[in-house]
Amino acid sequence: MVGAMEIYMLLPKTNCKKCGLPTCMAFAVGLLGREKKIDECTPLIEEKKYEAKLKKLREVIAPLENASETGLIIHPEKCFGCGNCVVACPVNVAADPTHCGVGLGPESDKVILKVEDGVVVSNNLQECRRFGPNKILCNACTATCPSKAIEFV
Amino acid sequence: MATCTGCSLLCEDIEAELSGGKLSKVKNLCRKGHGHFQSAFSERTVPMIDGKEVDLDRAIARAAEILRSAKSPLLFGWSNSTLEAQNVGISLAEKLDATIDDTSSFCQGILMERILSGSIPTCTLDDVRNYADVSIFWGADPSSSHPRHLSRFSYYPRGDKRQKSYEEERTCMVVDVRMSATATLCKDYLFRVPLGGDAEFMEAILSVLEGKIPRLGDKKKMIELGGLLKKTEWGAIFPGLGMVYSLQDNMEVFERLIARLNEITTFKVVPMVGHFNMRGFNELLREKTGYINRVSFKGGVAVHGPEQSVMAAAKTCDAALVVGSDPLSSLPFGTARALARLPLIAIDPRRSLTTDAAEVVIPAAISGLEAGGTAVRMDGVKIKFEPIIKADLPTDEQILSRIMEAI
Amino acid sequence: MVGLEVSIVTVRDIFQDEAGRHSRFSEDYRSKSAVIILDRQDLGSLGAKEGDLIAVENDIGSVVVAAVASHDDAHPGLAIMYNSPWSNQLVPEAVSQSSIPGFKSIRATVQPAEGSAAVTDISAIFSRIKG
Repeated sequence: MVGAMEIYMLLPKTNCKKCGLPTCMAFAVGLLGREKKIDECTPLIEEKKYEAKLKKLREVIAPLENASETGLIIHPEKCFGCGNCVVACPVNVAADPTHCGVGLGPESDKVILKVEDGVVVSNNLQECRRFGPNKILCNACTATCPSKAIEFV
Repeated sequence: MATCTGCSLLCEDIEAELSGGKLSKVKNLCRKGHGHFQSAFSERTVPMIDGKEVDLDRAIARAAEILRSAKSPLLFGWSNSTLEAQNVGISLAEKLDATIDDTSSFCQGILMERILSGSIPTCTLDDVRNYADVSIFWGADPSSSHPRHLSRFSYYPRGDKRQKSYEEERTCMVVDVRMSATATLCKDYLFRVPLGGDAEFMEAILSVLEGKIPRLGDKKKMIELGGLLKKTEWGAIFPGLGMVYSLQDNMEVFERLIARLNEITTFKVVPMVGHFNMRGFNELLREKTGYINRVSFKGGVAVHGPEQSVMAAAKTCDAALVVGSDPLSSLPFGTARALARLPLIAIDPRRSLTTDAAEVVIPAAISGLEAGGTAVRMDGVKIKFEPIIKADLPTDEQILSRIMEAI
Repeated sequence: MVGLEVSIVTVRDIFQDEAGRHSRFSEDYRSKSAVIILDRQDLGSLGAKEGDLIAVENDIGSVVVAAVASHDDAHPGLAIMYNSPWSNQLVPEAVSQSSIPGFKSIRATVQPAEGSAAVTDISAIFSRIKG
């Protein structure tokens, strides 16, 4: 999980207050707590010199944004790497019926859960059925986990 | 694609790359298999005699010397070796008039005997995936011991006749003394037994199947279980050590239960073998001698019985060759101590309590990772694999062949 | 402090197994293996709490391990350990015809370890085996 300091290092560090908060550190904390959005830091978006930092910041914040939308959190240190969630996930099964569908590791890039280096990792979580305007309360991954390594906040 | 030799599921869909001598972006390995692969990079053994490093030739020569001069050597281990290596091992035992035994002796042996003889009906794991609507884990916790069992075969995947899988067409049940990790996935179908109470529990099920009221425990739950079993279309039972150790000499009651269930519907049994090629050894030795383990070739005749088990032989034999196993860690103190008193030869890729106690240590390539070969999965399916790491180490097959030549 | 008699069953744990695959000699393997899971009431009756050191003893041997409180429904008199050199210090050898060791039928006494005791080290177990 990313920390406030890591986020702070990717901000302008000018304390310009354009986001409505007094300092960039406060903004970093706000981003971490999902109370602020990256786009509220207008200098970061508008000034070309921050292009690389903006790109990195978006990458680093993405899992948090997804977590807040789907409410999904993964605790890799608890994960057994059993693949139950990978095989139970309806998005995975639809995207990769000949692999995930029948219990094998995924071949398709479109899967949202897969096991790498012994534990589960998520990907493209915006495809998760708990996300978006037609979201449903799917719980296939959490209900099939033997160790509460994957859960909803 | 690599094959994982971390347990007897022998998963073949592993993608692993090496970069800078380390594994990177390994796909599909469970935590257990990942640990197994990672173990290739630490605590590797080197050839040793009496705790001092020597060259491989010297170690092999000394091993041959010890075995040649022993009056009753014991050859133990085998379940982490390929069929090819096991074959040489059995031939070596014959040549030496030795006692040979594997881990099934204190593991799934008493069940495996009946599976291989046909007195208990079995099937493949692929059959389970395609046909089973009920999977019962009896004294087994696959989530902890065979992590991908449920996702690859027994509960979550779709199969030919089970397209709606765990959501509508499969039920998972657990019979255990505790709420194991697997039991948390099917809490409503956990049937608790008291420790050592599995035989009684089976008799109670048999009563319920006769329409009688069971004498023990939660009668309502037993009747519920009886009903679930009767309604099963195609069931699979996976006995773990919890069941095997509880029944011990009384495997007969389980045979009766399975026979009775098969009069009503279909039920198959697949043993939850631990090590990746225990079944391979059992099948090979059985083919050769009629017995799956615990054989002495003294006098040129295959003799089988409790006296030939590693537990007994550790006390009567005068030297031991241990192949790919760490009995000093995994056997009871009494047996471990008896083994530690003998001149020990350990063939092992990694350091263990057994290699630390051994007079001769011979390093080997890790089967599956650094050495190819064939193994038999828990359900009898033969799987051939190629190595994915190049290691400048002999395979156990090669080491055993060299020892045999030198005898 | 009076000792409590328990039946110990040994089981598998994926994290302990993983640690054992890396090394039998590490602090990690010891911390994951040298544990005993006790029923909450049993633990309470010993005057002990999770993390306290417990002396486990029977005719075969004795070890000092850390207590873990069970999250399961009550199971007084039943304790759980993970299959390891620690548990094997307590396992009775084969007694039945099938000659299978008592991995899941260990009888032992548990009590809080003496103040100065530390978790049994693998080297002590090895020395005892080596004799």
